[in-house]
Amino acid sequence: MSQTRFVGKPIARIDALEKALGKTRFMSDLVFPNMLWGKVLRAAYPHARICRIDTSRSEQLPGVRCVLTHRHVMGLNGFGIVKPDQPVLCHDKVRYVGDAVALVAAETESIAEEALGLIQVDYDPLPVVEDPEEALSEYAPKVHEQGNLLLRTKLQKGDVKQGFTEADVTLEQRYSTQLFEHAFLETEGGIGIYDEESGVITVYCGSQYAFRDQLQIARALDWDPKKIRVCSSPVGGAFGAKDEITIQIYLALLAYYTRCPVKIVLSREESFISHVKRHPMRLDVRLGATKVGELKALDVRILSDTGAYASLGGPVLNLALEGAPGPYRIPHTHLLGRAVYTNNGMSGACRGFGATQSCFAMEITLDMMAEQLRIDPIELRLKNVLRRNDLSAIDHLIFTSVGIEETLKIARDSELWRTRDIRKRDFQPPIFYGVGVASEMQALGLGKGIPDFAGVSIELDRDGSFLLRQGCIEIGQGNLVCFLQMAAEVLQCDIERMRLTHGDTFASPDSGSVTASKSIYLVGNALYLAAKTLLQELERFASETIGEPMRYQECELVGPSRRIPLHELAQTAHSQGRQLKGEGHFVHPTSDKDYGDGLPHCLYSFITQVASVVVDAETGMVKVHDVLSIPDCGRAINPQGVEGQCEGGVVMGMSYALLEKVELQHGRFLTDNFSTYTLPTAADAPLTNKTVIVESMEPTNPFGAKGMAEPPNVAICPAILNAIYDAIGVRIFDIPVTPEKLLAEIERQRKI
Amino acid sequence: MPDQVTIECIVNGKQVRTSIPSGMLLTELLRDVLGLTGTKVACGKGECGACTVLLDDEPVNACLMLAAQVNGHSIVTIEGLASDNEATALQQAFVEEGAIQCGYCTPGMILAAEALLRRKPEPSEEEIREGISGNLCRCTGYTKIIQAVQKAGVLRMRQKA
Repeated sequence: MSQTRFVGKPIARIDALEKALGKTRFMSDLVFPNMLWGKVLRAAYPHARICRIDTSRSEQLPGVRCVLTHRHVMGLNGFGIVKPDQPVLCHDKVRYVGDAVALVAAETESIAEEALGLIQVDYDPLPVVEDPEEALSEYAPKVHEQGNLLLRTKLQKGDVKQGFTEADVTLEQRYSTQLFEHAFLETEGGIGIYDEESGVITVYCGSQYAFRDQLQIARALDWDPKKIRVCSSPVGGAFGAKDEITIQIYLALLAYYTRCPVKIVLSREESFISHVKRHPMRLDVRLGATKVGELKALDVRILSDTGAYASLGGPVLNLALEGAPGPYRIPHTHLLGRAVYTNNGMSGACRGFGATQSCFAMEITLDMMAEQLRIDPIELRLKNVLRRNDLSAIDHLIFTSVGIEETLKIARDSELWRTRDIRKRDFQPPIFYGVGVASEMQALGLGKGIPDFAGVSIELDRDGSFLLRQGCIEIGQGNLVCFLQMAAEVLQCDIERMRLTHGDTFASPDSGSVTASKSIYLVGNALYLAAKTLLQELERFASETIGEPMRYQECELVGPSRRIPLHELAQTAHSQGRQLKGEGHFVHPTSDKDYGDGLPHCLYSFITQVASVVVDAETGMVKVHDVLSIPDCGRAINPQGVEGQCEGGVVMGMSYALLEKVELQHGRFLTDNFSTYTLPTAADAPLTNKTVIVESMEPTNPFGAKGMAEPPNVAICPAILNAIYDAIGVRIFDIPVTPEKLLAEIERQRKI
Repeated sequence: MPDQVTIECIVNGKQVRTSIPSGMLLTELLRDVLGLTGTKVACGKGECGACTVLLDDEPVNACLMLAAQVNGHSIVTIEGLASDNEATALQQAFVEEGAIQCGYCTPGMILAAEALLRRKPEPSEEEIREGISGNLCRCTGYTKIIQAVQKAGVLRMRQKA
């Protein structure tokens, strides 16, 4: 698809105007008649046995409609994307402070709040498991009966011992990353409604996968999934945290027991302590290279603190391992990871999905290697760069598009990189300037062995417009306009001629989750098939009706003697009771290798990021000046959207590098709002934040597209740390690099 | 029963007279009583700016104000910025520049920018950054928001000229 009318154009998002006017209704904005307010009683301890739950006083409070505990969960009292080990309502034990113990529905929010305080729960506190290393000791208190190890994964290629003997230089370093909060702005909120007549329970609640929510609700309520409707779009931000169930099952239970619409909106504090975070990890990296900069061997050991429940802790660990070698050819690798249960809140999916942590460690190690070898950091990367049809560092064939080499060349030739030493002269001590670079390879899709597909249907409406039925959710990433751009390309019609559904299990086929930067790729493939099928259907129907061979062209059916506008054909079909539609179903391709638990993947987006920083060596303050993001996302369906992902990802990743950290003490949150957990503002954002897009056309997508939601917030973190080193010659191996930490390190090195 | 108070104020150009509990927050008056859900609540304690509205032309965090405090004053929410559903130059600039992603911060952000442009019709980039620094956005990284405010400032000056 070389000549395009819609694909590749910076067309304004279809949801933007409504959002600018304040008209968009998020799920937490909805109101229904006779609506009650629901509240959740969270655990009083991070680790404790529940001895007794007494709800009698709470039930007697005037205005209270129901108080629910584990006894009211009709189906499986558990949820979790991979394994349902998190209780809907805890019955014997609590494992983190966000655990839910009881639910209340009352006539007003304040009565519901008061009712929570009247629930009597007797606990027997247990020792808190805080340290993931100690959690693995046989003497450690068990978070779960079967032990504290969630998953151990080993990947290897070649002979890593042999590899290190072939290396001239070997570097070894320990890294650690912090617990990190997504900080989406719309807290978990929504409404549950039970319609007794039809038996349908409807849950309006923002999430990243309405169809999986539907199944998790059905399992917990022992309900027919076909009688559970989930509407979960649009969402006021998610970044991975709303992939797992949040309050959906509570809404369904409260609606069922009260027979009334019940609304829950979490406060920022309750949201903060209850939803998943980005995993803190400890990473030990050993990298060997020859004198000329050929990478020979990589050994990585990761210890991941997954917190109280599994959620996606296993897959996150696995992607951290798969992502650890980065976009480089390394003949000998040994990658070992363990994910461990603790009482430190709980962690799960977060933008980058494990690759964020391992890229941080690998890209700093590479920077140190470049220095040791006296090779330019970009040249070192280019020497080892992965190309299409190479074997990866985990020994699987990369048969999809690989644009990393070009991103590195653009970085090398950029003014920001070329002038880095000249610009240093503009600054006088104690102010120092430095530039750093880092690259990343982000696996897209869910990986080998995990169902990963999208279904789409497109219907011709009676007025000659198209209705695109797809189920993916708008969480801010801007996929909806991209879907319409791709469909318009095939259907040869204006975007205004189309409508689409999103995030409603009763309105469309299942199009998969909006995770793993995958919706553009998967839905794009499925809608292409649907649109092609619809065009054939239109031509067949027109030919039958007219009695001569008709071809579709620009919203007209054209035959040897006649031209019929599409709206006329639509009316004819409608009058005959014919629904003209096309369906498309696409299954994600997979790797020829199978390492289990979703490994490996087979489709990757890439990015190289260059960042300049200004460091004040007297205060330890770091200001990120200029950032250049060079993503390879395949064909950019909407370049403005790609820029938006890059700019936003940069600021989030900058903050991961320098500012944000969730503080816990004995399993309790010391940071649970935006006063104690500060976020970057417009005043903190880089002075320039530019994007240059590389489009390696992806052969397994008809539009050439891949995805670009995660990578921009990944490589930026090590790029900034490498820039700090370039500025002042100080390396920090644990993030965030707060001014206090940097100053202490500067002092320490001065003394040496 | 909590004490009820009667307040009179102007919301988006319309006279409002209503009896409310004295402890009601301005966000509750706007969202729950008047159905103006464009005003968002994301922190409930003045940390994020999602609930920004204009009180007599000045930006305030509606979550930090009691509804009773606006008695005798004029409020503009995001729904009242545009007349007849025609987006203002500022709203249009947010759309065109790609300054909107999830959109949850957008109403507060636009009103904070509106207040800035009323106070300072031609703000420098630094003044824009400062002017919207009370409003958190997790999606955009602020670049396109800053560009949108700059663009709207220029357009408004031209319209005036």
